[in-house]
Amino acid sequence: MSIERSIRQYEEDRSQAAKIAARLLLASATTSPRVGGVGECTVQIIDDECDIEDLCQATEQMSGENEKWDFFKRDAMMLRDADAILIVTSIRCLTDPADINCNVCGHLTCEYQRKVPKLEREPGIAYTGPLCLFRANNISYAIEAIISTARNMGIDYGVYWSAGAAAMRMAIVPKNTGFCLAVGISVTEKSPFRDIPKDYADINETTMNDRIIKRLWPQFRSIYS
Amino acid sequence: MATEMNEMLTNGLDRAVELMVVAAHNSFRFGDRNTVKISRLTRDDQQEIAEFCYSLGDMSPLAARDGRFLMELIKEPCALLMFGDRRKSDFNFNCGACGYKTCAEMNKAEEVESLTARGPSCQFKAINLNMAAGAAASMAWRLGLYCRVFSTLGFASFALNKMENVDMAVTVSVSVAKKDPYFDRHQYWTDEHWKETFNKEFPTFTRGFIGAIEQE
Repeated sequence: MSIERSIRQYEEDRSQAAKIAARLLLASATTSPRVGGVGECTVQIIDDECDIEDLCQATEQMSGENEKWDFFKRDAMMLRDADAILIVTSIRCLTDPADINCNVCGHLTCEYQRKVPKLEREPGIAYTGPLCLFRANNISYAIEAIISTARNMGIDYGVYWSAGAAAMRMAIVPKNTGFCLAVGISVTEKSPFRDIPKDYADINETTMNDRIIKRLWPQFRSIYS
Repeated sequence: MATEMNEMLTNGLDRAVELMVVAAHNSFRFGDRNTVKISRLTRDDQQEIAEFCYSLGDMSPLAARDGRFLMELIKEPCALLMFGDRRKSDFNFNCGACGYKTCAEMNKAEEVESLTARGPSCQFKAINLNMAAGAAASMAWRLGLYCRVFSTLGFASFALNKMENVDMAVTVSVSVAKKDPYFDRHQYWTDEHWKETFNKEFPTFTRGFIGAIEQE
């Protein structure tokens, strides 16, 4: 289907704006506070449509693993509309406790925490805890920085742990990653992360287009030609 | 009559702290749970926290450092916000980050008491709490305040029971001092003491290659 040149130009620039914004959000996440100033988080930008689709499919596949993860399908469908996804990881919380014996994890000292067996990597387990929660808290500063900057720049955002867990499952994050969250961003006139119907996995723009335009319209045209 | 600069600074600080609380209260959080408690600690509270942290010197040099720092900080206009939340999960995410397969298992696990926090805690509760603190810090940055997030002072505030019905806490400190009091503590060090500490902590720094003998 042809579209006007000026509209096509706008679409390309809009997409470019989202890619540039993703990089500025990465900068904001990187310079946000870290406990003790120790490097903890990495941020990866996924802005290729096919890569976004791969991540969404992995998220959908995980939804069947745990009865509480039904919303993964809805998250995946929302993220399909994202122009870019930022994957924020915590790379010390699994193997390198903060050594401050804070007891947030409930094991009194980091020495005890190290000795507690981790959960097995198996379907239905997203993160193989117990993690050092104090370390993983750094991720909240990074995510908050992304949100804060996105709000300043007028970028729509949505934060999802489902896609973060799927990114870990796909092994596209650093190997020591213990905790991971995803932020979808969008530069569109209507945020794809707000006002979402409950059955969004089944009723969404793609399925509506498929049923009404691609399936009904050709028949309608044929009958009434 | 013209308003005194110091009066404007302290009034501005009060307004800014209120705006930080608004930002924290309205920050993003998982599960749409707005359970984070926020309070502004008084100067006396800060004094008490500083002394408590300083008293932990033998156990935690980090706490002692921050205690000593807070004693200096409160000599100029400043504020300390405390953020706290409960530890149990009300999300039902069953994510595994806490080390239990389900939220129900974690919620039933035996509570472990300590000076710094009660555990085990839900990872997403902790994330929501720190996200609120991050939003406050972000607002402080925008308003031009000097700011630093302090976990040590959060632990001390928890130990001194400065907020009821919370299991973990974090603090955000802001200041309108004459110069940025955070992130630069050279005033506390003499050259000799600094060199002595550095050599003790990083003894191999000056060695040219493995096996070299340290110079006297």
